[in-house]
Amino acid sequence: MSLRRLYSTVNNAEIAHFSKLSAHWWDEHGEFAFLHKMNPARVQFIQQKLKEIHHDDHPGTPAPSNSLKGLDALDIGCGGGLLSESLARLGANTLGIDASESNISIASHHASHDPKLSRSLEYQHTTSESLLDHPKRYDIVCSMEVLEHVNNPALFLDTCAQLVKPGGHLFLSTIARTPLSDFLTIFLAEHVLRKVTVGTHTHSKFINSTELVSFFQKYPRSKPKTESGSSSGELSTSPSDTDTVPWISPHSPANEPMRTQAEIRGLIYNPLQANWYLAPRGAWAAAECNYLFWVRKPLV
Amino acid sequence: MLLVPSSTSRICCVVAKNHSKLFLKPTRRLSTPSGSGHEECDVVIVGGGPAGLALASALGSSQVVRENLRVALVEGGDLSKLRDWSPKSGAFSNRVSSLTNASQAFLQGVGAWDFVDAERTAPIEEMQVWDGISDARINFVAEDLGLTSEDGMARLTENFNLQRALLRHLNTFPQVELIDKTRVQTIVRDADDRGGWPLVQLDNGRTLRTRLLVGADGFNSPVRSYAQIPSFGWSYDTQAIVATLIHEPRGAFQSPNTTAYQRFLPTGPIAFLPLSATSSSLVWSTKPGLASALLASDPSVLAGLINAAFRLPEISLRYLHNRILQGHASGQVLTPAEIREEIFWREQSHSIDAHSAYSSSHAVAAIDAQGEQADAIEGKRFNNAGIPPEDAELFPPLVTSLLPGTVASFPLRFNHTETYIGEGSGSRTVLVGDAAHTVHPLAGQGLNLGLADVECLAKCIENALQQGGDIGSYTALMPYAQERYLKNHTVMSAIDKLHKIYTSTAEPVVWARSVGVEVLNELDTVKAALMLTAGAKQNQYNRNGASGEQQRPDAAMWEAAAKGVESVVAANNTVKVLGRGLAGMVGMGLYNLLKESGYAPPSTPSATSTNDRHANGSSNDSNGSVPPDSTQPRK
Ligand SMILES: Cc1cc2nc3c(=O)[nH]c(=O)nc-3n(C[C@H](O)[C@H](O)[C@H](O)COP(=O)(O)OP(=O)(O)OC[C@H]3O[C@@H](n4cnc5c(N)ncnc54)[C@H](O)[C@@H]3O)c2cc1C
Repeated sequence: MSLRRLYSTVNNAEIAHFSKLSAHWWDEHGEFAFLHKMNPARVQFIQQKLKEIHHDDHPGTPAPSNSLKGLDALDIGCGGGLLSESLARLGANTLGIDASESNISIASHHASHDPKLSRSLEYQHTTSESLLDHPKRYDIVCSMEVLEHVNNPALFLDTCAQLVKPGGHLFLSTIARTPLSDFLTIFLAEHVLRKVTVGTHTHSKFINSTELVSFFQKYPRSKPKTESGSSSGELSTSPSDTDTVPWISPHSPANEPMRTQAEIRGLIYNPLQANWYLAPRGAWAAAECNYLFWVRKPLV
Repeated sequence: MLLVPSSTSRICCVVAKNHSKLFLKPTRRLSTPSGSGHEECDVVIVGGGPAGLALASALGSSQVVRENLRVALVEGGDLSKLRDWSPKSGAFSNRVSSLTNASQAFLQGVGAWDFVDAERTAPIEEMQVWDGISDARINFVAEDLGLTSEDGMARLTENFNLQRALLRHLNTFPQVELIDKTRVQTIVRDADDRGGWPLVQLDNGRTLRTRLLVGADGFNSPVRSYAQIPSFGWSYDTQAIVATLIHEPRGAFQSPNTTAYQRFLPTGPIAFLPLSATSSSLVWSTKPGLASALLASDPSVLAGLINAAFRLPEISLRYLHNRILQGHASGQVLTPAEIREEIFWREQSHSIDAHSAYSSSHAVAAIDAQGEQADAIEGKRFNNAGIPPEDAELFPPLVTSLLPGTVASFPLRFNHTETYIGEGSGSRTVLVGDAAHTVHPLAGQGLNLGLADVECLAKCIENALQQGGDIGSYTALMPYAQERYLKNHTVMSAIDKLHKIYTSTAEPVVWARSVGVEVLNELDTVKAALMLTAGAKQNQYNRNGASGEQQRPDAAMWEAAAKGVESVVAANNTVKVLGRGLAGMVGMGLYNLLKESGYAPPSTPSATSTNDRHANGSSNDSNGSVPPDSTQPRK
């Protein structure tokens, strides 16, 4: 495997940046405090969706109290391992991967403190593209707060999607490209409050939920060509294969995909409690800044 | 507390490039600083008091906790003694708490309340509270609060009865390990590269490495010292005397013994809490000097003084207490006969009729006579035969004796930690109950606050588990501190301010109290504060409640009470100004108003007047205090 392939969607400048920060990962009061606080809402969303789908797939049978138990989970861009640890604790056989070596060191080191995690958690310093070389596919693939940092979002999404088993789930969280997100995440968080290191975010890389929906309305399509991936962050798609089922029906409105195919949920910050909450379904303007996205791979 | 990082065994963090897996071996630790092996736990609770046991109970009753966490509780004392506690019926322990309906609902939800011996508990159906100086009085009944009289406003329960119930409940969850007769010797922090988890070293040689360490270890909390959580507070310069009081049953013409009485004396409140027809519990907060003199007295002298403390005008109580203090200091302790004589003379000087409810000297005589002559002296009234004095229910039944071995005293203090969650080198720790806060018992809230902590923490742990969280992390525990800290602080400040107002001897305040100015405000606040002990039965605690966002019903009421107290303090300052400069127009206006309404002028404190105007809580008009319906639980 070539190095070019390994780093094809990873921006080198960004890797360096996060390596520098990775020592702070587990400081719950530090720069990543917001991620620590966001994590429960993410897990809540994942569990809700899995429960709901279980209900759709097996009407009448009670959903297991823990819907993650025994599933194969992949956390792409696991960072210090926040989400990976949670998934593993909930019984998913979890693999966390990150392109930053120091993140993986931090994550494995942290997990080694916890006697509960050894059975179900594994980390690898690798990229999602490299995993495609292996036959293993996953019941759930997660990639949280990664999309806004990659160079070629279309290629990245395609890779994520390919790693999902048929009928499996893809969970993403990212930031919408709106005036609000510009104000909150870049102006306020980086420049005014200095909660996040300046340079962490680039507004032009933010992706709107409707763009994700449109992408999966035309997905899968013929294999994207890595070389042609534009660095502007645009989700350019090649013409769809005529014989494949798109993950999201092309006819559903991009801001309201079919409940059984995809969902967008806003993450709302409550400054009084200094905590993140999962916005109610369909809450107005909730996905204007931080949001979660779920899409299911068709069974066939 | 020692803070020793254990010998570091570096974890190899082999980062395999590209594909090879990074191994995560369960690096089981083979040595601790002391060289012995340790056991891995998820939750270690230090302290088997009511708070610690209730937490163990709540965690044990949760399926997700049982399936995922190893929970252990460490207690220095012998829990089997509590588990096998089998007192004679009618012989009540001296440590009694009034459990609010909210606390009961929590215990019911957990499944522990069924193990409480209900026969030994008693509902408070009515409360009578009055000011020791002005005699302004309020009274309220459970029905007024929308509560049935069976439920009452709160249920008096011996701490042992509760603890035994929790232990029996815990018997059904063998997954929760109880380690008793074992003290926590030291707590040290594991090596940084092992995450710095707490290592709890027990005096039996065991060491527990734990994900979360809960301090339910009371006022001198070792967990709090380990976590280096600062606390602030002060000693009240007050001792609380507790005792189990024996008295005759109320007569046929009177209501049953289900009324709690509390009189606010300048030295501190004295409370009578009904346990059964013939037994009640005493909590008498007073100055340490007087407390030790009272404790050194003959039990029948103490009984006589208890009766007098509820009845005699404050000025005479002061006189009596001085006599007791002098006797104690000079080594010439007052005899039962002498105290009876004294009380008799004080009653005479206030023209208290021997047959009125304000008189207790005859009862003292009866106690003194130890039964031989009792019938002859005042048999009729004593047996409660016939028609009782008209105002009999203004006061608790006359105490005839104290249950031997139940007289004890505790220092009272205000204490609140700066936070409930340990951070930095003290991370993975959390405090509940008296380890986090101690309050004056005047509102009977100490344990209730602790149980509310426990309820919240258990829910918080459960939630974190369901979200795959690390229950020892700050993120997982934060909702607990967020929900409890401010609420506890509000209640605690309200109680503290009440205490201060009532024990104030500063001239203007006393003057104001003597003329009943403040009492208008204060009693409303007291009323609100005490009504909060009721909680609300309607809002049943729902263990499987969806979001956990449900407010404990008394929270809103406490907020109202706190507001009331704030306004009292504000009013208090006004009164001080007025007291100093009565010549001012406003002052004169108020002065005249007071005179017109029949209050005595400041020069002659109306120590003997009973202020009927304030009876039945008619004082709810005062500025900013709590209107009666705002004390109703909100939905
Ligand atoms: C006079 C009086 C009257 C009161 N009346 C009321 C009332 O009416 N209503 C109400 O709600 N509250 C009342 N309270 C308050 C109530 O009693 C306390 O709030 C309650 O007992 C606190 O319980 P806890 O479990 O937090 O602490 P504690 O009961 O203090 O328990 C702490 C436990 O930790 C153990 N421990 C400590 N250190 C170690 C160690 N190193 N190793 C092992 N074990 C250890 C101790 O042995 C003890 O069992 C009253 C208090 C007083 C003083």
